[in-house]
Amino acid sequence: MENTQSNTEDRELLISRTLNAPVELVWEMWTTPEHIANWWGPNGFTNTITKMDIKAGGEWDLVMHGPDGTDYKNKSVFKEVVLHKKIVYEHVSHPSFISTIEFEAQGEKTEIKWHMLFETAEQFIQVVKTFKADVGLRQNMEKLEAYLANRAVK
Amino acid sequence: MKIRRDVYQAIADPTRRAIINMVASEPHNVNAIAEKFDITRQAISLHIQILIDCGLLAVKKQGRDRLCEARLDRLGEVSIWVDQYKQHFEKKLDTLETYLEKIKNERNGKHTK
Repeated sequence: MENTQSNTEDRELLISRTLNAPVELVWEMWTTPEHIANWWGPNGFTNTITKMDIKAGGEWDLVMHGPDGTDYKNKSVFKEVVLHKKIVYEHVSHPSFISTIEFEAQGEKTEIKWHMLFETAEQFIQVVKTFKADVGLRQNMEKLEAYLANRAVK
Repeated sequence: MKIRRDVYQAIADPTRRAIINMVASEPHNVNAIAEKFDITRQAISLHIQILIDCGLLAVKKQGRDRLCEARLDRLGEVSIWVDQYKQHFEKKLDTLETYLEKIKNERNGKHTK
């Protein structure tokens, strides 16, 4: 039988990006509630962070407010926090997943690697499927994103 | 109540994923599939039926055998949606990038004043 413990291929996501800012600034954006509230969540959403105790075992409560007034509560628990290097948190609200963000300083730039591991392939499929159902919403988000980008230029 | 059959439902179960893996390499007859699993023949038949309904499996009669063949084209549908989901997180980083620029400009502005 296949080893389902070590095989994570069918229940993970990995994205990476080199950001044009030094690691101290990127870290600040990730770990300060007033900053994270400004970029977290799908476009068109606003965020309220009621708790963000960024240390191992600390809790993170974030509510995303959808454009239609729906609130999405997100509760997470930090598993590991290494200054300017790494943040690991477990999203304990549904869907359950473990998110690992690694920061690598590259002079004036920072490479970040963002890994998400879902508990089971079933849950991952469920999430993707739900997301598929939300595609209409996603298109709305894109419109809003364009709107916000225009505003940012002003 | 109408039960929805789609490719996600097909792969949302470990036994069904194992059946797809088995028949993906070569067609198997239903009995051979049933023997590999420690569940009832009826349960296997149900999984096979769901896979057929979802369009991932076709059964061909060959003499007395019923051969199951994989129809994997539809799995592509899943990877497309996984990519879309990934894009959702990429967009978060897009927003972060824009926000970083804004903060950098604001802070530089303060310095020059």
